[in-house]
Amino acid sequence: MKKSKRRNTERAYEDSGFIRDIISSREGARVLSCIQCGTCSASCPVFEVMDYPPRKIFAMIREGMKDKVLLSVTPWICASCYRCTVNCPAQIKITEVMYELKRICLKEQVISERTDANRFYSIFLNQIIKYGRSHELGLMIKFMMLHHPVNLLQQVPRGVRMMLSGSLSLFPHRIKNAKTLQKITDHALKLQKV
Amino acid sequence: MSARVGVYICHCGSNIAGKVNVKAVSEYAKQLPDVVISREYQYMCSEPGQEFIVRDIRENQLDRIVVASCSPLMHEKTFRATLQTAGLNPFLLQMANIREQCSWVTEDGEAATLKAKALVSGAVGKVRVLAPLKQSYVTVSKSILVIGGGIAGIQAALQCAETGYKVYLVEREQSIGGHMAMLDKTFPTLDCSACILTPKMVSVSQHPNITLMAYSDVEKIGGYAGNISVTVRRKAAYVDHDKCNGCGLCQEKCPSKTDNKFEQGKSKRKSIYTLFPQAIPNKPVIDKSNCIYFLKGKCGVCQKLCTREAIDFTQEDKIEEITVGAIIVATGYEIFNGHKMTNYGYGSLPDVYSALEFERMVNSGGFTNGQIRTQNGKIPSRVGIIHCVGSRDERHLPYCSQICCMFAVKFAHLIRDHTNATVYNFFIDMRCVGKAYEEFYHRVLEEGVRFIRGKAAEVIESQDNTSKNGQYIVKVEDTLAGSVRDISLDMIILANGMEARNDSRDMARKIGIAVNEYGFFLETHPKLDPIGTQDPCVFIAGTCAGPKDIPHTVVQASAAAAGAISLLEKNTIALEPIAAFVNEERCTGCQFCVNVCPYQATKFDTERKTSMVDETLCRGCGTCVSTCPSGAMEGNHFTDKQILSEIKSLLVPV
Repeated sequence: MKKSKRRNTERAYEDSGFIRDIISSREGARVLSCIQCGTCSASCPVFEVMDYPPRKIFAMIREGMKDKVLLSVTPWICASCYRCTVNCPAQIKITEVMYELKRICLKEQVISERTDANRFYSIFLNQIIKYGRSHELGLMIKFMMLHHPVNLLQQVPRGVRMMLSGSLSLFPHRIKNAKTLQKITDHALKLQKV
Repeated sequence: MSARVGVYICHCGSNIAGKVNVKAVSEYAKQLPDVVISREYQYMCSEPGQEFIVRDIRENQLDRIVVASCSPLMHEKTFRATLQTAGLNPFLLQMANIREQCSWVTEDGEAATLKAKALVSGAVGKVRVLAPLKQSYVTVSKSILVIGGGIAGIQAALQCAETGYKVYLVEREQSIGGHMAMLDKTFPTLDCSACILTPKMVSVSQHPNITLMAYSDVEKIGGYAGNISVTVRRKAAYVDHDKCNGCGLCQEKCPSKTDNKFEQGKSKRKSIYTLFPQAIPNKPVIDKSNCIYFLKGKCGVCQKLCTREAIDFTQEDKIEEITVGAIIVATGYEIFNGHKMTNYGYGSLPDVYSALEFERMVNSGGFTNGQIRTQNGKIPSRVGIIHCVGSRDERHLPYCSQICCMFAVKFAHLIRDHTNATVYNFFIDMRCVGKAYEEFYHRVLEEGVRFIRGKAAEVIESQDNTSKNGQYIVKVEDTLAGSVRDISLDMIILANGMEARNDSRDMARKIGIAVNEYGFFLETHPKLDPIGTQDPCVFIAGTCAGPKDIPHTVVQASAAAAGAISLLEKNTIALEPIAAFVNEERCTGCQFCVNVCPYQATKFDTERKTSMVDETLCRGCGTCVSTCPSGAMEGNHFTDKQILSEIKSLLVPV
């Protein structure tokens, strides 16, 4: 007896809004097709600093372990290189699911203590909105001052060397037509509400 | 005189009654025009269900029957037979599909009931104007065509021939044997593949009832049920096989060499060659595209040396016509092309082998004479076998190829047996389903073969050149031990999946059968009729119908042979009475119908200047009917009057 796939999955996970949220998103539609083969973990260049390999994240999503998944640093470590997505035999959009998880983390304000990637993201984003491009020096100073003030001193010699070689500029540059970009970012923020 | 219709609504357990209000549908049917009796019952297809119909026909003089139940594909035959038992013409039956088209496709019971009523009304509308049809029979030709000379074709041909039927076995290569002839050992018993195959091949060549047509292609298939005419192209071998005694001198002396496809391109063969030493027929053919004589017009060494004067450069393809009663299709498979998985380096890294390449390597007749050696002649000390190459992969073959786990385990055993190497199997799930398969897996586990649960992500060249480590590194997540590992290896073997032959769709079109989404031939029913096709005279066997191992292939081949034999045993075969016919006074002679008919059943009568239908060839598909611009073509059982009456009743507000 054939019923629509979607209905069945919805029924199977009636109790878990979390899984429903993930599989009903465009990115997570195939999460339930994961065969736990581990291609993603073995393809990942930053696997060593993750607390759970991506494969395990999918197993945990399916078992509804919401807190564990949201408190994992794995999505924040993900370097968005898309190698796992290219290699995945089940064609799961793994990198996109990682983004979706980060969105849920931000929305629900559940973020691991062990990562500051979210803060880095927000400083970076504010810069883009303001100037239209990133200003590395300002970004690093602001990020380090706010979160790792002691480490900032250690970075000074390297920063000076980079400035002397012309890799770092002292002042931020603005792009032309910043207003047009503003329209785009405004609209994007309205859509995201992040 | 008006018709007397009986309507029967089936509950199909809860399949229909769970959604459709069957009582309401039955009540509704009672007031439809010409309906004399309307009943509902739990299982209409059961014996008591059918008895209702028989009794009602006899007691109430019913002359038309409507059964509202499952798809006519399931039970139309059943109920036609019921009508016949009661003495009614079996074609005065109309089925309304209220299961697949009603109860199974909605959650809404009310909507399902409403649609069921409409479908029943439509069926009554049609059945009232149906006309009885006469079943005709033709005699069946007592011979069988087997396409493909692999193990499936060999088994089927031998079995049919043993029963006494004439068998034509057509094989595209110059020898029968197929993929099985390339294999070394067979799992799980480890008998030598050639040792168990060659006796059967010899039996084929010796059997008086088998005509072996090697190096031939099936060009065209026509004719009608039980009398299928087949055009076979016998490809020119440029060697007169009647004169040749297979001494092999020509092969020894031929100066031109090319890649040996049987050895997977890993060694060279001559341009005049036999496939392998035990080939049947063991007569050489000349490969025209590489032969110096054909390329440059001189050489002819083979011709000069042949003592039997068998070499004939002027030979041409020959076309032969045969007539058979049944066809067994056993065209086999292709292995998945490892080049498509670029992350495994197949084709660019020299010691990454496909499964068939390894079979030839480990085979004592193969390109290394059975020695397991790397490209530079070393005995490998660490070998990896990567499972699911192509299979279980949405990008390539979404299905499981079924045999790879087992041949990978067999490879592991053979490597342990031939060398002292450490063997790693990288698997996703071990699928050892079959008699003595799991036991074989355990035996190999105990031999110390490592099984790592994780699909290899990639194969890269090692930067570390010390002899202690292998030349390649496989990156894999050991999902059971919970870590990502870099495993260094000397040799890598891919467990390529099985896919349909790339010309399977053309073949299917030629024969008039269907393929599934992957190109494998489609069976009538996956469980209950795995050998039948939509053409009652065509059977399928072996890997052309889907991935399977040798035992299952042989079982299916025997079953297909039994199917063909029981068809031919009947002497006559019923022709489909549902056929097209021409209203001659309307036909303008435009011949559109002649061009569109897929079965060459419509012909143009030059004397009468109208089209005519050969009823033996027509299968009632209706293509000509819908094409005819003047409405002269009509289909029995689907006449304009009948279809319009059905539509009209279907649209009556419920």
